[in-house]
Amino acid sequence: MQRKVLLIDVDKCTGCRICELACSYTHENVFNPLKSRMSIISWRREGIDIPMVCQQCDIPLCQDICPTGAISRDADTWAMVVDEKKCIGCRMCIMACPFGGISPHPEKHVVIKCDLCEGDPACVKYCPVGAIKYERLDKVGLARRRAGAERLSELISIVSKEVS
Amino acid sequence: MSYGGYAGKYIRIDLSSGNIKVEKTPLELIRGYLGGSGFTARILWDEVGPEIEPFSEQNKIIFATGPVTGTLFPPSGRWMVATLSPLTNHWGEAHAGGSIGPELKYAGYDFIIVEGKAEKPVYLYIEDDLVKLRNANHLWGKDTHKTTDLICEENGDPDIKVACIGQAGEKLVKYACVINDYYRAAGRTGMGAVMGFKNLKAIAIRGSGDLKVAFPEKFMNFSQNCFERHAKGEWADYIKKTSRTYGTTGLMDAMNAIGRLPTKNHYDGYYQEIDKVGSEAIRKRFRIDHKSCFGCAIQCKYISRIKEGKYAGTQSEGPEYETVMAFTSNILNTDLTVAMRANYLCNIYGMDTISAGASIAFAMECYENGIISKSDTNGIELVWGDSEVSLKLVEMIANREGFGDLLAEGVREAAKKIGKAAEKYAIEVNGLEASGQDGRAHKSLGLTYAINVRGADHLRSLCIIDELGFRNIAKERFPQYDTDVICDLLDERYKGYMVADQEALFAICDSLIVCKYGVMWPPIYYWEDFAHLIYVLTGIEKYSDVEETMKLGERISHLRRMFNIRLGWSKINDSLHPRFTEEPMPSGPAKGEVVDLETMLREYYEVRDYDWETGFPKRSTLKKAGLEDVADELEKMGKLAK
Repeated sequence: MQRKVLLIDVDKCTGCRICELACSYTHENVFNPLKSRMSIISWRREGIDIPMVCQQCDIPLCQDICPTGAISRDADTWAMVVDEKKCIGCRMCIMACPFGGISPHPEKHVVIKCDLCEGDPACVKYCPVGAIKYERLDKVGLARRRAGAERLSELISIVSKEVS
Repeated sequence: MSYGGYAGKYIRIDLSSGNIKVEKTPLELIRGYLGGSGFTARILWDEVGPEIEPFSEQNKIIFATGPVTGTLFPPSGRWMVATLSPLTNHWGEAHAGGSIGPELKYAGYDFIIVEGKAEKPVYLYIEDDLVKLRNANHLWGKDTHKTTDLICEENGDPDIKVACIGQAGEKLVKYACVINDYYRAAGRTGMGAVMGFKNLKAIAIRGSGDLKVAFPEKFMNFSQNCFERHAKGEWADYIKKTSRTYGTTGLMDAMNAIGRLPTKNHYDGYYQEIDKVGSEAIRKRFRIDHKSCFGCAIQCKYISRIKEGKYAGTQSEGPEYETVMAFTSNILNTDLTVAMRANYLCNIYGMDTISAGASIAFAMECYENGIISKSDTNGIELVWGDSEVSLKLVEMIANREGFGDLLAEGVREAAKKIGKAAEKYAIEVNGLEASGQDGRAHKSLGLTYAINVRGADHLRSLCIIDELGFRNIAKERFPQYDTDVICDLLDERYKGYMVADQEALFAICDSLIVCKYGVMWPPIYYWEDFAHLIYVLTGIEKYSDVEETMKLGERISHLRRMFNIRLGWSKINDSLHPRFTEEPMPSGPAKGEVVDLETMLREYYEVRDYDWETGFPKRSTLKKAGLEDVADELEKMGKLAK
């Protein structure tokens, strides 16, 4: 199976936080943004919203630093997953992660992070503006280039309309 | 015993003594009144009697959510504020999006009742179980943006959600609003003024708890189904091309096309200069980003920025259609920059853009007709469409400076003070300045204004089926009436039935609380959907029955009206400003039209079973709605129909 990753288009995100609700429900059966594995970080006055989530790094610092070997890579999805039985809630992984991809569970003494929902991410299903996609790794670069090109193509069509 | 969707507790705070009580949300309140508008109607009926003045320690202001707030159901980010309105002296209610409603639920509370009056400025800080009043001396005099920034800063958490008042609320401008999340306004009927009177500068909330629903799987299935109705099928393209491209400003063109765009203080309904102030002009010149309220699949919000000129750099969310209307066509101004700037100013001062714009339009028409002159206006020449004058007046109203002090009273009071038949130009109904509609071009809207418990605005029962001619939906919902007639904007027949139905439906919306987008427009959700939703969300079995859900909508509609009846409201109040009933529309598609209110009002009274002479209810009507105790009280006051 081709490895797939979450591809986030920051430009498209409107800050509705539906992904957070879908995530917390999928993993915990409740609605609670603090239990979501993904968070929209907002500068509300300026109107900037940036979804932050585990990048499932190729060189996972969280795994390297974990003293109990609780974090490992899932063979099917390539997600870095936490074994709650092994996790001691020391939060070293939170310190090591450069993106804030991991957070402490508000009640249990473990950390929580995106596990890609076993290959069917809830955030992708529910995002109303298509700001989160689940793309094959080998297509990600091209997908971003296409998004950039689309903006250029719009510009070109405006120019060509004005010319004609 | 608990019901899904609710946090389960509420806060009662007495600002006079500083007492704070946290109690369980009463189950009978949940079963009988659902949330939001329903909850507050019951509480204000029980606790704010007819002898109480809006600006008094005895008046109470309630901040409420509903069972949908904070869950995944597509429009779920809303909350509302209700109190005895200082602008209308009747039922006051205002709703807002953003994310503070969900935050209150995550903190563990369904609503907050605020009583009394603080000696010095305070703000209410809520962090889960911690509920405290904090000093707000240093925040007094600050605008809503600065207040929000400072509260987040001093508590060291940028994610605190803040609802606050600006200078307008502090100065008791009668239509001051409550601003939450910087840009979202619980705008109408002066909620911010009551906060100001009580010396309550802000409410700051941070929550970390869970919200559960009664039947998670069924709820998720239904939510997903609703997401799909927004994302695929007949409405998807519609939403994309309108809401997400233009926000509500698309209405500028749509309303002008049917001759319903208030122009020159509602004198006309057709604006010749629409191209200069239409939605495409706004999008091209000002729109910089696309935004959304919490948990919304419609996503009509956007950010605008003035890019050049004197006000370059002014950035705000919106403006909405109503604001653009109020500061362009309705004051005959073609400079969109004024609407952008006025929107920003009203947001930071915390003031309803509709009433502010309407007050300025009123002043301009009075000036044109010689009712007021330079000697009344601090030397300002109030010429229609003058950009600088309009913006100057916004600041003067918000700070109650000079002539602004008079306009801060609202047009009804201002007209009384001016005298000289100024009420001819005070376009209000029951004390609330008219919003961006006109019954002459959309007859059902005339009735909507006349019977609205909060006065002249559209959001308690606006009908879209006739407005946009959704024939299939008209056939589905009202098979007993001739589709051609019910879809005819300019025909009064059957509109009373439609408005009564819509009013009860919106009462459910306002109690759940879901946004009018998705219900009013596009008409995606109807009774069957709400009956199912309430059941799977809360677990209250009786509401799985559509009839029961309809009865609930009627109960809430009745109760809000009875709150007004107890305050002296009667048949006379179910009326319109003569501009809509006596002055024929001067131009546009509705040229020559006036509102024949009686035809519609008779139908409406027939459905609601109110007495034609007095406007009072019968005991049997209230009993059927489950409001017999309300009937008892009205009977003692002689306000029950025989």
